[in-house]
Amino acid sequence: MNKFLAVLFFTAALLRAQDARRIMQEVQDRARAASQRYEGTLKVIDSRNKISEKRWTYDRIGSAGSSKVVIRFSAPAEVKGVALLVVNHPERSSDQWMWTPALQRDRRIAFQDRSTRFFGTDFSFEDLEERDSNQYDYTILGEETVNGAPCWKLESRPKKSKSSQYTHAHIWVDKARYVFEKIESFHGGKLIRRLIYGDYRRIQNIWTPLTMEIEEVGRKSKTILHTEKLQYNVPMKEEQFTLQALRRES
Amino acid sequence: MLLRLLTWPYVRKHKLRAILTILGIALGVIVFVGMRTANDSVLYGFQQTVDRLAGKTQLQISSGETGFPEEVLERVQALPEVETAVPVIEATVRTGLPGQGNILILAVDMTGDRGLRQYEFEEGDESFIDDPLVFLAQPDSIMITSEFAARNHLATGGRISFDTMIGPKQFTIRGIMKSGGLASAFGGNLAIMDIYAAQQVFGRGRSFDRIDLKLKPDVPLARGQSALQTLLGSGYQIEPPSSRGQQFESITRIFSIGASLNSAFALLIGLFIIYNTFAIAVTQRRSEIGILRALGASSRQISGLFLLESAILGLAGSIIGIAFGLLMARGMANYVSSLFGEIYGVAQRVETVAADPKIVALALVIGVATSMLAASIPARDASRVDPAAALHKGAYESFSPRESRLRLIAAAGFLAIAAFSLFLRGSEGLRLYAGYLSVVLAAILLTPALVRRLVVALRPLLRSLLPVEGALAADSLIRSPRRTSATVAAVMLSISLVAGLGGVSNASYESLMSWMNNVLNPDLFVGASEQISDRSFRFPASIGGELRRMDFIDELQMVRTARVMFRGAPVMVVAVTIDSLSRRVHPQVIAGDPSTMYREVAAGRGVIFADNLALLKGVKLGDIVEIPSPSGVLKLPVAGITIDYSDQQGAILMDRSVFVRNWKDDTVNVFRVYLRKGVSASEGKRRILDRLGAQSRLFVLTNDQVRRFILRVTDQWFALTYMQIFVAVLVAILGIVNSLTVSITDRRRELGVLQAVGGLRRQVRQTIWIEAMSIALVSVLLGLALGAVILFYYLGIIREQIAGVRLEYEYPVRIALSLIPTMIAVAFLSALGPAESAVRSSLVEALEYE
Repeated sequence: MNKFLAVLFFTAALLRAQDARRIMQEVQDRARAASQRYEGTLKVIDSRNKISEKRWTYDRIGSAGSSKVVIRFSAPAEVKGVALLVVNHPERSSDQWMWTPALQRDRRIAFQDRSTRFFGTDFSFEDLEERDSNQYDYTILGEETVNGAPCWKLESRPKKSKSSQYTHAHIWVDKARYVFEKIESFHGGKLIRRLIYGDYRRIQNIWTPLTMEIEEVGRKSKTILHTEKLQYNVPMKEEQFTLQALRRES
Repeated sequence: MLLRLLTWPYVRKHKLRAILTILGIALGVIVFVGMRTANDSVLYGFQQTVDRLAGKTQLQISSGETGFPEEVLERVQALPEVETAVPVIEATVRTGLPGQGNILILAVDMTGDRGLRQYEFEEGDESFIDDPLVFLAQPDSIMITSEFAARNHLATGGRISFDTMIGPKQFTIRGIMKSGGLASAFGGNLAIMDIYAAQQVFGRGRSFDRIDLKLKPDVPLARGQSALQTLLGSGYQIEPPSSRGQQFESITRIFSIGASLNSAFALLIGLFIIYNTFAIAVTQRRSEIGILRALGASSRQISGLFLLESAILGLAGSIIGIAFGLLMARGMANYVSSLFGEIYGVAQRVETVAADPKIVALALVIGVATSMLAASIPARDASRVDPAAALHKGAYESFSPRESRLRLIAAAGFLAIAAFSLFLRGSEGLRLYAGYLSVVLAAILLTPALVRRLVVALRPLLRSLLPVEGALAADSLIRSPRRTSATVAAVMLSISLVAGLGGVSNASYESLMSWMNNVLNPDLFVGASEQISDRSFRFPASIGGELRRMDFIDELQMVRTARVMFRGAPVMVVAVTIDSLSRRVHPQVIAGDPSTMYREVAAGRGVIFADNLALLKGVKLGDIVEIPSPSGVLKLPVAGITIDYSDQQGAILMDRSVFVRNWKDDTVNVFRVYLRKGVSASEGKRRILDRLGAQSRLFVLTNDQVRRFILRVTDQWFALTYMQIFVAVLVAILGIVNSLTVSITDRRRELGVLQAVGGLRRQVRQTIWIEAMSIALVSVLLGLALGAVILFYYLGIIREQIAGVRLEYEYPVRIALSLIPTMIAVAFLSALGPAESAVRSSLVEALEYE
């Protein structure tokens, strides 16, 4: 009898895991585009309500897991031209380089440093990585409503091949649109970051959040990213996503 | 009980002598505590800075001082055992702010450095680095400590100027760190900047000074160290941060040895003062001792009494010595610190000068033990006093024929050991120290006999000057050999120390001058720092090209100096174009044929060793030596050994091409510039500054200025020797005053009788003056003779045991000649007080004495 219950339990768990993976795969597939470009405004509101603002342009080529991203800061004047190149890999952590035009040189951001906050924002360098759903294991934890939208609540855990500062995350996926509504990232039992997606618009048939609000719990600060002029499938070349291009175009 | 009955009344009656005795010990302890505390404070300050900068760093990767290419970082970060590895550049620069001196710049990669170091900000929030992205994006960004900010009224957004490779540069303060922890390193004079910006402003090219790293939690230190060593090869040093302190200690070893020798000698002289005092006390209190013995006091009780007295005096002297020693350390610490900076090019900052309980305890033990050791012979003599013979005054002040004979035999034995040690093979240290000690002991044992003979020889001269007073003074000295010889021995040792140290100082200057004349012959030296020994800044090689294009420059030599680890010690590598050097420089070659030596080294097939380093490390001509470099261990034969004072630890000279190839570093510390005929040094200097002064941090020093700098640093180094000489002379004065005080007290009745039978006060005074001056003359003569012998040992010890430096023996005649009148004058001045006391004391009391 006990054996029968155990087999039943594991079979049910496996099916739930498969469902969770299918959900995540669907989310990834619906957002898939050959490239993406937008202009972003990054607003950091610190614990004393002091607001600092930066603007950047964001270019991505390729799809999640094997994409390449260039973020180029355009304002304020002191950071204009500073650029970040992120090269994502499906089975391991991304490679990241930063270009500082005033010094006319690039620096590699070492893997060990990815948990560092991204230039005073509430994002970490790791949060800038594009996540491939296959790098994680998923299970469905239940269903909840977020921002009025019924959602699946999933748990993701990085596979061993993927090193992360987070041990696991809780993801709320909108059942109707297959988009993220909220992600909470944990280290052990401790909540580290909370990311809330908002202002969804359908752009080129892809549901796209124009606002992302991230909070590093415990710091009492938050960072809001507003995106504008967002386009998908913009013609881009691989050569634009190299260190040489980073140096050349800054 | 005995102490209260016997000692206390005696001490009260002879306050001055008790004070002098205490001072004898106090002086030794002052020197010991002062020098050790100052030295330790500097070392402690350095270690504190290292610890605070290290944060959670477990291991540091370096390649001597030379730094290494950036690529090494990625290899280290990729190692599975490593959790965090971050690059570091350190530089010490002048702040230019009044009273602030230097500031330590710690340049790190802020995107990853927080894994190792805790940066706490004034506002408790990282955002108080007024935007971390701006901090990285702008190369003028700097963070300072709140202490430094408060001291200089600086705030976030403010500007501060530092010397950099591209001249004075304005930096913008973009963060203020809270005090404590990291921020208190280097006494709070710490600034953090981006490492890639630092590479530019400090001329580091694409290299880092070192990598600080933390291992994964489950990786033991030894395993991590071994994995890194395997990855990088033996050209890299992979050590915990604490080893930097050990290296610093190793660099400053010679200073520490000097400080220890100084205090040991000061205590040795103090020992003689105490011996003298107690020998006299025993003599004066013989009758009391005799009575006590007759009443049943055991010889052990008597001996214990004197030992207890000496322990109390030693304790008092030690306490005074510790107090003044700590005061002296406060004054000396910054001096020692700046001396280290100038000589070794290692900047550090003394944060606190505090009493180390270990030093204080050791000083107490040494002070008391020295005092008891000095009193042990008089105490033993006291315990042997025969109650019946105790009332026989005078006899005890002379040596018995048996005692004199034993002294002569012992002295002969020590001289035989000294002679034998000259031929001893094997341990150089044992040979020299045994010989030195034997000669000193023989001299001490022979002092009574020699004093007697010298005073007897002097008597006719004294009589011819002042018949009555001269004869009385000479006779007093002859009649009291115990008292006189102890004083003479103390003064003799002081004078021998002065002669020996003076000889070392003279020989050092002679040798240095000769080296400077042979080697330091360029017209100009173009350096990136005001101090030629400072290696914080380096030129790119391209500056050499620009200098070469100047038509008034005849020849240019590019010099790169850097400390590397060789056989466990930090030594200086000097890389220069040997072909050019061989045409211009003719050092004293100790081993090897000069033309072959230069040919082989210029071709990269050998290195030249400084004689001192070769000696200390046992390196011989033709030996294959292994020098660690970032490209692996460089194995080259020793093509020659020359006299070279480029560095106190010793230098290894190699061709520049070998250095550039193996260290992947073509930067330059100093350009040696030879001007064309007809171009004066001042004109050459002006023209170089006109052409390059605006584009680069540049200091052009004339040959004369460099020589003056070296001599100034040497003067500062020998200032410690002069202090030692001062202490020696002071102790000599103390000895003479002590001896005269005792002599007058002893002879109160004799002097009283002299006055009673019509002797004039003037005559009494003159007798005492002559006695004092005779002691001085005899002591100086013996001291100078002993100094001649110990100079030989000093030079041997310096060469074989301390610095490996080959110094020529040359007796310091001028110092010797100046000492004779100086000491006689000092003795005369010392005698003024006791002489006045003698003539002004009550005649009745004097006649009643005894």
